Formats: sequence, structure tokens, C-alpha cells
Amino acid sequence: MDKRNIQNIIALANELRWKIGDDFHDNLAEGIYADAAEIVEDAIIDKNRDRKERLDNKIDRIVTSRVWGFPIMFSILALVLWITIKGANYPSAFLADILLGDVRPMLKSFAASLNFPWWLSGFLIDGVYLAVAWVIAVMLPPMAIFFPLFTLLEDFGYLPRVAFNLDYLFKKSGAHGKQALTMSMGFGCNAAGVVATRIIDSPRERLIAIITNNFSLCNGRWPTQILLATIFIGAVVPASLSSIVSLGAVFGIAVLGIFFMFFVSWTLSKTLLKGEVSTFNLELPPYRPPDFWRTIYTSIIDRTLIVLWRAIVFAAPAGAVIWLISNLYIGDQSIAAWMIHYLDGFGFLIGLNGVILLAYIVAIPANEIVIPTILMLTVLVTGMHIGEGAGVMFELDSVNDTASVLKAGGWTLLTAINVMLFSLLHNPCSTTIYTIYKETKSMKWTVLASILPIIMGFVVTFVVAQLWRIFVN
Amino acid sequence: MYTYNPIYALLIFIVVSMVIFLLFRPNRGLFWKIRSIYRIDDKIVIEDILKQLYHNEAKQIGINFLVNALGYRDSTIISGIDKMIDGNLVYFEGEHLTLTEEGHDYALKIVRVHRLWERYLAEKTGFDKSEWHGIAERKEHETDDEEAKNLASSLGNPIFDPHGDPIPTSSGKIAELDSIPLSGLKVGDIGKIINIDDNPELIYKQILAENIHIGSQLKVLENNTTRVTFYSEGEEYRLAPIVAANIKVLKVNTPEEILEDNVIRLTGLKPDETAIIEGISKESRGDSRRRLLDLGFVKGAEISIDLVNPFGEPTAYFVKGTTIALRDDQARKILIKKD
Repeated sequence: MDKRNIQNIIALANELRWKIGDDFHDNLAEGIYADAAEIVEDAIIDKNRDRKERLDNKIDRIVTSRVWGFPIMFSILALVLWITIKGANYPSAFLADILLGDVRPMLKSFAASLNFPWWLSGFLIDGVYLAVAWVIAVMLPPMAIFFPLFTLLEDFGYLPRVAFNLDYLFKKSGAHGKQALTMSMGFGCNAAGVVATRIIDSPRERLIAIITNNFSLCNGRWPTQILLATIFIGAVVPASLSSIVSLGAVFGIAVLGIFFMFFVSWTLSKTLLKGEVSTFNLELPPYRPPDFWRTIYTSIIDRTLIVLWRAIVFAAPAGAVIWLISNLYIGDQSIAAWMIHYLDGFGFLIGLNGVILLAYIVAIPANEIVIPTILMLTVLVTGMHIGEGAGVMFELDSVNDTASVLKAGGWTLLTAINVMLFSLLHNPCSTTIYTIYKETKSMKWTVLASILPIIMGFVVTFVVAQLWRIFVN
Repeated sequence: MYTYNPIYALLIFIVVSMVIFLLFRPNRGLFWKIRSIYRIDDKIVIEDILKQLYHNEAKQIGINFLVNALGYRDSTIISGIDKMIDGNLVYFEGEHLTLTEEGHDYALKIVRVHRLWERYLAEKTGFDKSEWHGIAERKEHETDDEEAKNLASSLGNPIFDPHGDPIPTSSGKIAELDSIPLSGLKVGDIGKIINIDDNPELIYKQILAENIHIGSQLKVLENNTTRVTFYSEGEEYRLAPIVAANIKVLKVNTPEEILEDNVIRLTGLKPDETAIIEGISKESRGDSRRRLLDLGFVKGAEISIDLVNPFGEPTAYFVKGTTIALRDDQARKILIKKD
């Protein structure tokens, strides 16, 4: 065949392509699907046909109804959170007793018997070991309760119905209904919430869900909120109302987080993320009884232990840093005291103080160790004789003692409110940041997800501090 | 400890945030405007002039027309034209400009790249329809031959852009369409929408707001100087003739191709009704379309409403033994035939 013939054939083929038109490919695909569907119809008897009669449908009609849908949803979420927070107290105290009360003195005396110099045992036991033990004691129990509960709901098939009910709100902010699930998961742990965004198959909505997950108040932050609300906000109202009011304040912070989640989702979908592909479809699978033991096993292995392990990996160096900055001296002051001194000015401007800012810097690995670090640093700079010495994190058994340490550190009602706000709006913990990187494989989105909340935190606390100083005192 | 006036602090903060907002607000921020002015160079001016000449070949184009259409300064346009004459892309015929054969080829190349980009934006990104044109306008100047070739092959060498305009081939061929404007159909005529012009933008946005889809069949009910009314996919649309003229249709004559009147959009289905899926509109593209097909929204499948949402949207449909929730803007792109 000579060259001209080939040219002619190609030209003819091109011309025919025009004539066949654009639909050809789609029609072919649709035709294959339709044929397959017809074959299936002949070969398989489908029991789902009379779905209207089945129990599934009756449950669905209740959980997605106008009247019952939302109350059921909120009470389940509240119940799960309540069980987690209340239920975790006992095992947490138990673990703390063993790891901090028994094992630590043992390690100390062991180190002494080996004639460790003070700085080595301080660095290893008061720094590294203490931070790791602390993270295990306060993180493990809530996660070991929250994740199995959540996974049971997921396996039962209820969670897709939540996504279905709430999708309209998420659509308005450019997000996916399934973000309701990753958001709820974030109330347990943001790192797990970020992993959970895998259920969102549309790239843009998934990125939105990842970046905004940090606005869900996680397990590591609930105790901080509850403690501060009890000490400072409960105290401004009569004693009979104080528990209701402080609970309301914590609830208000969580709702504020949801509001920021919607707001940031909306902004992102209108600006940075408008070019990412966006698709929506949501399958509502039939309900099925969850396989209880398998669920417990997989949620503990897949979620709890992985997250805990990552937290430990990051907590160990953080413990070392906390101990080192408190015990290394430059001139006549420890590094921590110098840093607090430099951070104090900016801290005051946004209604916080240098101690709080430094605590949030060194406690990036885990929100759980923010309060112990704040207490330790406050004692360090005020020269009080509480706690166990420089660089050793501690917590006090009585709320009143904690209050007196914080007040000695110069805390006011404004400080407490701003710490509550800042606890909601600051960078994700390092475990979450690492998880975001693993999930997005993108430095750009990881940096954005880390920096965006803290900028918002600075802005919000700054504005609140100025308004407070103008109008309240 | 620290003393400063919180009112000043707040004022400084407000001023700074306003400046940042003015500089960087999406699209209209000063920073973006300055950058776009800075970016204009000879190549862009020349290519924009070429496109104008190509799209208006039937008219006689002078310099004034170009100044009006492109919004560049007179001097920019004149120096651009000088360079084009030197490069043998255009020549003057009296007052007006005409493309040389080389100029024509160059213009076709730009058009090709523009339409390829629009197709790319439609299939592979999440940008809104109304933004495709603007982005393609920028990209067309930055894409060289090699990139254009890669773009085309990654899209499977498409022959139409998402507005229904033909994409010229790399050898410079372009399909001729014997489409007519919608306003040219007579009452009772049946047509199929094959093209919605995205220029001028104002009219295009109006058409988008009506949810009129490419590939839809329509039947003209009324056509006079004040309005064009037509029925399509279960709904009645009323447009001003000037708007209708931007919708191009093919007249459907063969009876087999004419869809029955009970073919409507999935959004028209009511609870307790069942229907058979007729197909997915061409407006559903890329991943979204493939997902719908995967999930069983294929021709011939039986469909009914399973659950109604407390907010009214999305709706859960029962199709092929599964319950799947879709938002209205997707359901609108699925055609069904009611029993």
C-alpha cells in the first residue's frame, strides 16, 4: 500500500469520526450497561424488589423524617460523646495511676541505682517517658470507647442516613453530605476524621473535609474546654446555675466549631478549591446487624492503635523538648522563661499570655498535654512551689488548686474565654498534620490545613480581646 | 503590664484586613488586575486580534471594531497590527483587515487550543460552566503545539467542545454544522439543542440559569417578536428572541428520533410513581457521568423515589435494587419515561 493510500484512509477515518458524532462513545457504554442489565434481569431473582414492605424502609422513613430525623441524630451524637467523656475518666485515672504513679517512681529509682546523672534521668524519665505515658493515659481510653461506638453505628448503616439528612446544608457550603460523618468522627479524633474522608469519592469535597476537620473539637480538647468553663465561666453565675452554664459554654464552642467548618468550607469551595472535580452520589445500603466482636477488634486495631502509635511517636520528642527548654539555661534564665518573655507581648495583644503560646507550641504533638504544660510553665515563671520541678508536667487533682495556679499566672475571664477559643482554632496536632500529608500527598494542602486555623485563631482571639477591653473594662 | 489603646489596635486591624481584601478578593482584587495588565504582551494581542478576525470573517473589520471588542488601548492594537502585517498574517483591504492563509491557520490553531481547554475544564475539573471561557482565554496563549497535542490525546481527541462547537483538527480542518438558531424554528417544529453560545456572557448566564441542556430535544410552542416558548423534557421555557438566538438547534425530521412527550427529567418524578430511565443528558460529563452509569442509571432501568429528604434535597432513588441519593442538579440530567 503506498503512502498516499494510507493518507486517504486516515482522512476518510477522520471524516467519518465527524459524522458519527460525539455521542458514539457514550451510546456504546450505555448500550453495554443496558445489555448487561437485561441479562441480569433474566438470570437473577431479586429479593429487594419489594423494598417498600421491608423493615429497612420503615426505619428509613423514621430516621429521615422531618420530625424525628434531627432529634434522633443529635441525641445519638450527644450520647456517644457523653459515654466517651464520662466513660474514659475511670480507665484514664487507672492508667495514670499505673504509668505515672507506679511505673515512674520505679524508673526513677532504677535510674538512681544505675547512678544516672540528674540530667539524664530528667531528660529520659521526666521528659520523654512522662510525655509518652501521659498521652497513652489520656488518649487511649476515650479512643478505645469512641471508635468502636462509631464503627458500630457505621456498620449498622445509620451513618449514611445522617449524610442524607444533612447533605443540603453541606451542599450550600460546597461540601459533600458525607462530611457530616467525617466531622462527627473528628469529635473523637481529627486524625481519624481525616482518614475517614476516604469515604468521599469526589476530590474537591474530600479536600474540603480534610482541611476543615480540625474545626471539630476533638477528644484531646474536650477536657480543656470543660476544665476552663468550670473554673472561670461557671464562677461568674450563681452556684446553682454554674454547671449548666459551663456545659452550655463548652457546647457553644463546639457549635462555633461547626459554624467555622461550614464557613471555611464555603470559602474554600468559592476560592482555592473551585477547580477540583466535584461529584455527588450517596449510596444508602440496607441495614444489617453489626458483627460486634469483629467491629471492636478492627476499630481498635485500625483506628485506635494506629492513631495512638502516631501520637506516641510525636509525643516522645515533645517531652524531651519540654524538659530541655525548662532546664537549659541561657544566662540566668531557662530557655522556656526567655521564650515566655518574648511571647508575652504578642500573647497579651490577643488576650492570652506567653505561657499559653509556648504551651501550644511545644504541645503540638497532642492537645492532651496542653493543660499539664501550661501548669508546669506557670509554676516555673511564678516561682510557686507546686508540682514536681522544672520540665515535669503535672495535673492537679482538685479543680480549685488548678484555678489558683492559673489565677496566680495572671488569668482572667478573658484569658479563659480566649484559651477556649484558641483551643478550638489552632493548628491541628502533629499526628493530624502527618495524617493530612499521608492522605493528600500534597505539601501545599498540608500547609494550608495547618496554618489556616491558627490564623483564624489569632484573628478571633485578637478581636475578642480588643472588644473585651473596650467594652468590659 | 502592657499598655496600648485597644481601639487603635482594632482600627489598625480593620484597615489592614480591608487592604488585604481589596488587593486579593477573588477576580476583582487589585493584585489580580495589576498582574493581568502586566501579563499582556504582543503575542496575546496578536492572537486576540486573529480570533476576532476569524470569528467575524463575514463582517468587514476595521481598527475601531477591534478596539471596542478587545478593550486594549488604540496604540497597543495598532502596534499589534503592524507586527501582524510584517509577519504576513493579515493585510489591509481598504479600511478593513483580512486574514491571509497563514493568519487563518494561526487563528484556527488558537481556536483549537481554546476549545480543547474548555473541553478539559468541563471533563477533568470542577470549575463552573460560566468560568470555562475565561480560563480558556488565558490558557490558549500559554499552550504550545506539543502541549496542545498532549491535551488532545489525554481527552481522546475530542471533536466538540462542551458548548457544542466543533474543535478544529491539528491539520486545520473544522466540521461544518448546519445548525440554525432556535429563534429560526417555526411553531410545532422539533429540534435538538447542539450548541449554546458562551458569548456574550450575560446572555449565556441567563441560559445557564434556566437549566437548558445541550442535547435536549424541544418543541416550539410559540415564536414571535417578543418571545420564544418551547417545551422540553417536561418543562416549558420562555426566552426573549435575542436569548433564543444564542441557542443553536438541529431540526429533527425523522419520526424515529422524536422523543415522546412523556420523556421528562428525573426531577419531575413524584413519590409513588415509577419510570424507566431514557438516558443521561450530555451535560453530565467526565467522572460524574461515569459514576452514574456505574451505579446503574442506565437506559431501561426502572426507577422510583425511595426517600424524600427533610430539606427537600437530595432525593433517594431506588434503582437496580439499591437506594442512591442524588442532588437535583444531577437528577436534572437524567431523562426518564413515565409509565
